[in-house]
Amino acid sequence: MPLLQVTDLVKHFPVRGGVLNRVIANVHAVNGVSFSVARGETLGIVGESGCGKSTLGKAILRLHDATSGKIAYDGTDITSLKHRDMIPFRRRLQIIFQDPYSSLNPRMTVKAMLREAIRFHEIVPNTELDTYIKSMLAKVGLPDDAMNKFPHEFSGGQRQRLGIARALALKPEFIVADEPVSALDVSIQAQVLNLLMDLKDEFGLTLIFISHDLKVIEHFCDRVLVMYLGHIVEEIRCEDLLDEARHPYTQALLGANPINDPADRRPLAVLEGDVPSPFDPPSGCPFVSRCSIAVEKCQTMPPLEQHSDSHRLACWER
Amino acid sequence: MIRRFMKSREVRKLLRNRLALVSLAISGLYLTVGLAVLLFGLITLDDTEVRVGMDSTPGFGREVKPEERFETCDWYLTRFERLLKRKDVDSAIAEWDTVAYRKLAIDADQLEERVDEAIEIYEELEEEEDLDERPELESRLAELETIMASFFVTPSGFDKLLYDARLCLGTDRQGRSILVRGLYSIKVAVQIGLIVSLIAVTLGSLLGCAAAFFGGWVDHLVIFLYSTLSSIPNLVLLTMLAFAFTGSSVEETLIPVYVAFCATFWIGPCRVIRGETLKLKELEYVQAATAVGFGRLRIMVKHIIPTTAHLMFVNFSLLFVGAIKGEVILSFLGLGVKKGPSWGIMISASRPEVLNGFFWQIGTATVLMFGLVLSFNILTDALQDAFDPKHAG
Amino acid sequence: MNDTNTILRVNHLSTCFKTDRGVVTAVDDVSFEVERGETLGIVGESGCGKTVTSKSIMRLLPEQISFLKPESEVLFGGVNLAFAPEKHMRTVRGNKIAMIFQEPMTSLNPVFTVGWQIDEALKYHTTLDRGGRNKRAIEMLELVEIPNPVERIDEYPHQLSGGMRQRVMIAIALCCEPDVLIADEPTTALDVTIQAQILRLMNDLKDRLGTAIILITHDLGVVAQVCDRVMVMYAGRAIEEAEVVELFHRPQHPYTKALLESIPKSGRREHGRRLPTIDGMVPSLFDLPVGCRFQDRCGFRDQLCIDQEPVLTTDPEHRVRCHHPLNSPASSDPVDGV
Repeated sequence: MPLLQVTDLVKHFPVRGGVLNRVIANVHAVNGVSFSVARGETLGIVGESGCGKSTLGKAILRLHDATSGKIAYDGTDITSLKHRDMIPFRRRLQIIFQDPYSSLNPRMTVKAMLREAIRFHEIVPNTELDTYIKSMLAKVGLPDDAMNKFPHEFSGGQRQRLGIARALALKPEFIVADEPVSALDVSIQAQVLNLLMDLKDEFGLTLIFISHDLKVIEHFCDRVLVMYLGHIVEEIRCEDLLDEARHPYTQALLGANPINDPADRRPLAVLEGDVPSPFDPPSGCPFVSRCSIAVEKCQTMPPLEQHSDSHRLACWER
Repeated sequence: MIRRFMKSREVRKLLRNRLALVSLAISGLYLTVGLAVLLFGLITLDDTEVRVGMDSTPGFGREVKPEERFETCDWYLTRFERLLKRKDVDSAIAEWDTVAYRKLAIDADQLEERVDEAIEIYEELEEEEDLDERPELESRLAELETIMASFFVTPSGFDKLLYDARLCLGTDRQGRSILVRGLYSIKVAVQIGLIVSLIAVTLGSLLGCAAAFFGGWVDHLVIFLYSTLSSIPNLVLLTMLAFAFTGSSVEETLIPVYVAFCATFWIGPCRVIRGETLKLKELEYVQAATAVGFGRLRIMVKHIIPTTAHLMFVNFSLLFVGAIKGEVILSFLGLGVKKGPSWGIMISASRPEVLNGFFWQIGTATVLMFGLVLSFNILTDALQDAFDPKHAG
Repeated sequence: MNDTNTILRVNHLSTCFKTDRGVVTAVDDVSFEVERGETLGIVGESGCGKTVTSKSIMRLLPEQISFLKPESEVLFGGVNLAFAPEKHMRTVRGNKIAMIFQEPMTSLNPVFTVGWQIDEALKYHTTLDRGGRNKRAIEMLELVEIPNPVERIDEYPHQLSGGMRQRVMIAIALCCEPDVLIADEPTTALDVTIQAQILRLMNDLKDRLGTAIILITHDLGVVAQVCDRVMVMYAGRAIEEAEVVELFHRPQHPYTKALLESIPKSGRREHGRRLPTIDGMVPSLFDLPVGCRFQDRCGFRDQLCIDQEPVLTTDPEHRVRCHHPLNSPASSDPVDGV
């Protein structure tokens, strides 16, 4: 049985407007998404801004309440659990945020921040709190004296480590990492990715890794969901990505990555046009307006079908 | 906790700003005087009503011309003559003692004797014209003054200091010390400023925070309240509220003023804190707290309210100045402070004086108010610079 | 390299900021030149001084808190822009040297139409009449490949997507046919597919217009894609400069090498492998070491690196600031005294 099973998850954000402040439209952030994550696996979610990948991640943790659909964690349906019943799951499911600046309370010291969460869930007895916090900081590569500092005294990379420490301190099983390295410099990015990789092995974590950077996902994850406009358009094992990705959007993402070697400079495979507005998505295949191989049939929505064992694809033409 | 606060980046930044430090010192001085009057009775209400000299005397720093010296003697002599006409001269002398801060040194008999002596010289001088132009009469005038001085106990030491201090900014039309009244008004200003801004900031912050955090009908209600209140011109509302208390038992106290200000002043902090909370509650660390499993009330109290502290601080100082200025305007219009002095009352009372070219009372009141408001404004700006994370650097 | 092809030369540029904690030198003695039609990339991590360099050239830094050291020279058209009067700068900015910024959201004025904003630049810098300016504005939008330029010209920035806005910014920057275009992280805020579009556009324009471009970025992939020459900056210093293939294939500074290695790469072999990293952090500009600024993070550090800061070598093909350069035929003995 998979650890996490998401079925037909939909999340719409109402847009209010007009004189009476009525709901005038819905942003279709996540539009009927189904997937599962096995214990110990690292699942990547990739897509451009506005594709709903972050919303999906936060909906799994119930930071947004889903409009419809079902989230089952370890056999329990957590989609509509009450606050009180949700608390044990809160400990087991944690999140690492993108922005290392807004994700830490600027008025709390590191110690206060970690202590609050650890005591709430009674992870360790109060007498061992300090030792435990120190060991957590050591795990993410921060010195003991970080305990009494405020977030603004740290650099971006260190703050991201703090965010990781906060998530790990609750001894979770499952972590959603929402663009954890996007705001960091290249050299720091590599440090944080390596750290995540080590901690994943050490704590036996199951991870959902959200990023807009296919290269990072490819490097880090076992399997990837490619999202476009709130839909999963392709699901594939990362090692097969280069050779077997079939969806034109996945291929465009692969082709749009700048090269690493200036000696074999070639024109980038360019995808024309922009992502359609999520207020008013096209009725058929979401990618139809930018697709080079679109045909008549693409005006209706292609289902996400099993293409091979570990490969799902939503495209009429491939 | 306090040590950590003093060492924080914000405080260090504030301490580097020299102008801010000067303002801090000045505001501190005002607060000290105000609190000393308020808590330890440094100056009592009675002190402000006591006659300390003749009417409308100017303050320090001006050469006193012979004509004026003569008039001063004239003023005291008239009073002594009147005193001597009383039936019970001894008790009148005792009464004089308690009222005027200038003790008489002699009993009834001596008084009569000396007054006659003085009147002799007085009449001689009265016949002369243009005392200012006649230096040869100087010795006679001095003689008269010596006699006049002998009526009184010569103040010495601390008493002399107090005596001079009381007169150093002159007297008003009832002969009351302008300095004493001006200083007492600091207490009135500080009292109104502190109480009004404390209540208004607390009320506004709580309403603003709750409105943003809980949304829905709470938000609608708060927005309705403040948009209605703020659509009435401020001064009209203040006047209306102050009028509402006329005739009631609390009319003489400051309560009408507090109510009038608090009812309008909470709007500012409420708006600011509501906006800030709306922003904060979308921040990722608030989501992180949700992800830990904390309830909404706990998140509001522990994670949102402390983060808006700098805004409350800044709003507090803005309202403090606002309340002081508002009090002056209300009192000037006769709607504010009803009993005892205040800068507004002093300014209002000095209207006829200004027409006669006497500026000591209005000058004292305005300079004192200006000093407090200016130093506090500079301090507020510096605080805003130092504590607003957007200005950090 | 003193040939007449050089269009902009920066010598000993040092930019200082007055802060609460004293004066910091954000850009420290940086020299480079740009040739006509060439694309120079300036790469580095946040805080290395790359953006400050570009703003110093344009003199866009607030004068109350920043100043250029007196030996700084920005030679353009025979004038030292570093200390030229503001009046002269106004004829240069937007006209001879144009700039595009990272945030396409905030660098366009939201209350005016796209056409108005192009028109404003043309009105200020050219003598074209109203009709001519309108025609030129449409031409510019066509040039940056905006579909339906005649309609788009009357739209407001919020009606455009991020990529379209960045195209408009480029159109505004190019409308006066500048000699130099400074692009400060032009694609950082954009999605990959949009980034690819903008990079292709910039490459096309470079070929067609012959404008020299200074491209400031933290993304080595972008550099590999568009630049001819690259300068790497670290903690306010230029530490290496070379032609792009040379730099990517034979990096001489350990920092450059590490930076190149730390990019995740594609391919089965790479999957799940630990990435090579650079340990530690960039030193604070308030607290710079005496010797080499990279010493704390460098695997080749010795006493010399701690005692003495290396100077930039003078080899015109490949300048490097290191006591022990890698891949260097001239071995570890850099020429002293620039």
